[in-house]
Amino acid sequence: MRRVFVKSLLPHLPVLLLCLLCWHAPSLHAQDWVHTGTNLSNPIVRIAAADFKPAGSDPQTTALKAVFDATLYSDLGNAGIFDLVSKSMAPQAMPGSPQEMVLAQWSAAPASAAMVAFGSFSVDNARLAVYGYLFDTSNTANPQVMGKQYNEAANEDMARTIAHRFADEIIARLGGGVNGIAETKIYFVSNRTGTKEIWSMDYDGQNQRQVTHLGSITLSPRVSPDNSRVAFSSLGREGWSIRMYSLELGRMVSFPGGAAGGSNLSPAWTSDGTKIAFSSSRSGDSAIWVADASGGNLHKITTLAGPNVSPVWNPRTNAQIAFVGGRTNEPQIYTMNQDGSNIQRMTDSGYAVSPSWHPNGGMLAFSWNRKYGPGDPGGQDIYLFEIATMHWLQMTHESGNNDFPSWSPDGRHLVFQRKLGGRTQIWTMLADGTHQQQLTKAGDNSMPNWSWK
Amino acid sequence: MEGLLDGIEHLERELTAEPVAAPAMGSFVLHALLIASVLSYGMISGLFKHSVWGNQGGGGAMQVNLVSSTIPLPNNQPVNENVLATEKPSKAPVAPAPKTQQKVDETAIAIQGKQVKPQEKTTQKTPPQPTPKTDNTARYGEQSGTPIARATQPSVGSVGQTAIGDSDFVSMFGWYVRQINVKMASSWYKQEVDPHTPPGARVYLYFSIRKDGSISDIRLDRSSGSPTLDQSCMRAAQRVDSFGALPPAYTKASLMVSYYCEY
Repeated sequence: MRRVFVKSLLPHLPVLLLCLLCWHAPSLHAQDWVHTGTNLSNPIVRIAAADFKPAGSDPQTTALKAVFDATLYSDLGNAGIFDLVSKSMAPQAMPGSPQEMVLAQWSAAPASAAMVAFGSFSVDNARLAVYGYLFDTSNTANPQVMGKQYNEAANEDMARTIAHRFADEIIARLGGGVNGIAETKIYFVSNRTGTKEIWSMDYDGQNQRQVTHLGSITLSPRVSPDNSRVAFSSLGREGWSIRMYSLELGRMVSFPGGAAGGSNLSPAWTSDGTKIAFSSSRSGDSAIWVADASGGNLHKITTLAGPNVSPVWNPRTNAQIAFVGGRTNEPQIYTMNQDGSNIQRMTDSGYAVSPSWHPNGGMLAFSWNRKYGPGDPGGQDIYLFEIATMHWLQMTHESGNNDFPSWSPDGRHLVFQRKLGGRTQIWTMLADGTHQQQLTKAGDNSMPNWSWK
Repeated sequence: MEGLLDGIEHLERELTAEPVAAPAMGSFVLHALLIASVLSYGMISGLFKHSVWGNQGGGGAMQVNLVSSTIPLPNNQPVNENVLATEKPSKAPVAPAPKTQQKVDETAIAIQGKQVKPQEKTTQKTPPQPTPKTDNTARYGEQSGTPIARATQPSVGSVGQTAIGDSDFVSMFGWYVRQINVKMASSWYKQEVDPHTPPGARVYLYFSIRKDGSISDIRLDRSSGSPTLDQSCMRAAQRVDSFGALPPAYTKASLMVSYYCEY
């Protein structure tokens, strides 16, 4: 009897199975699944930047395309997350569109690229038209990771800007949720006009421009998180005061709390742009003061003896401030809560100054002359300091006096000043100490500050 | 008699008071001076601050630790814990020149009765070279797509959407899966795991990635049997802020990921 029942079911088995699967189907389709794990070989993404294909016959094309290609190549190299295929290893092909792209050319040795950035570049009626693509060479069925189109005025600045934007798109896509820094700026002090003024430049040292024309001495520029203003300290009739320059209006704007006697130095913005901390000696010893971005609501937060200077906010929480305290014989790095409580000493010895807080809030970079211990060359070097574990790592070695580190918004790069052979210049490096590059050449340049975006 | 006299003289000498006061005074003054000088040195050196290297009472810890795991830089090279490691290694010594064959002087007159040593044949032996595996390539994902889902999908609706919705995420967006691996591998601290854990132990996690790339619903799927390994893998997932926004071509609201950590 039972066997008969099973036999009668047999012809319907496929249907039954199908029904069973259909019943499960909604749960299977609700979301896609990815199964993955460790030990599956995670090499650094090897990326090739093809020369873009020139289109149109405008005479400007060649020159602007050269700028564009060079900028895109250097941006991808500077990102720090790619293994960039050298131009000499890359195929000579200039694919201008997805149809012209032959993936096998790029995935084969010696290029062996996992990703290719390519596209077309044309100048038409004084307008730049750029089509950029990013292809995954290992995926022949669906190679396109990204496609972008740009249209801007035809000049060298815009060619560079478009390259920066395209590079940032690639880095954002492949960089694990961290945006690129190709469009960021660096503000610094330069004496190349005779007096120390604030200057700005692109992150790669291009496009250097003078910001202030005060004819006095200006120090420690700090750009606001929305890139609208630069706060700095400047020597005037009332001594050192905190002043403010509007990048949008192109002129000085008032900051009333910044000039009330004593020396007012080293302003620091919160990451939401609502508050500024600075050091002021208006009540005796230098202490940390906090004001609103408009300059009002001024109050002192350190009450301890000894000079306390160079405040920086924890950009992640805006609830802590790191500063340099001089209550011991030599300056040391301390942290405290924003109300001045819970002061903790970070460095144990030597001469430690110029803290800069990592965007994720977990680390400080600062300049340290350790004066003691193994590997101490007696120079002033940039160090990283992990706050949770109190561990540190030396970034620069035996190359001049290094000071004023400032983090890039992606947390992968540092800009700093290096005094070597009597000249002070601005340098950048990756946050593992590699890829050190000098950005400035003219005059003496110091106190760099990396913009927030 | 003489002996008696000697005894008396000896006794006299014994009983005569020695001049104690003066040496004792001297000793007292000397000690007082010593104590005073120590105290005054302490006071005077306390008055004048001088450059102190490090904390008073110790030079502080000497640490050379890599903290770069919190810096979002790729870190796939083994950590070199050698303080003296340099980026510019010295040149490797030159390989020794091959032995030259002993020259036979053909003009020499042969000595009678001398046995000539037969020359050793110098045939270079080449060790067997392993042939590289042709299929030695990284494979992502344990499973390929689920063919069941495709078979049961009704073939109605717009073709374009179905193509995206149906195709396996791994085959469509392999680069994103690589990104998940890189990010997870860099935030997993293997040193948190108890070293007694048997190598090869695996813990499986579930989590989902939202459209903006943030991680949510982290759950333990299959324990490895080692609580520390389970914990470290969970922490790795919790450490990740974002994997980067999901590919715009992927239309669904979130992506489910099954991830394992293998010790």
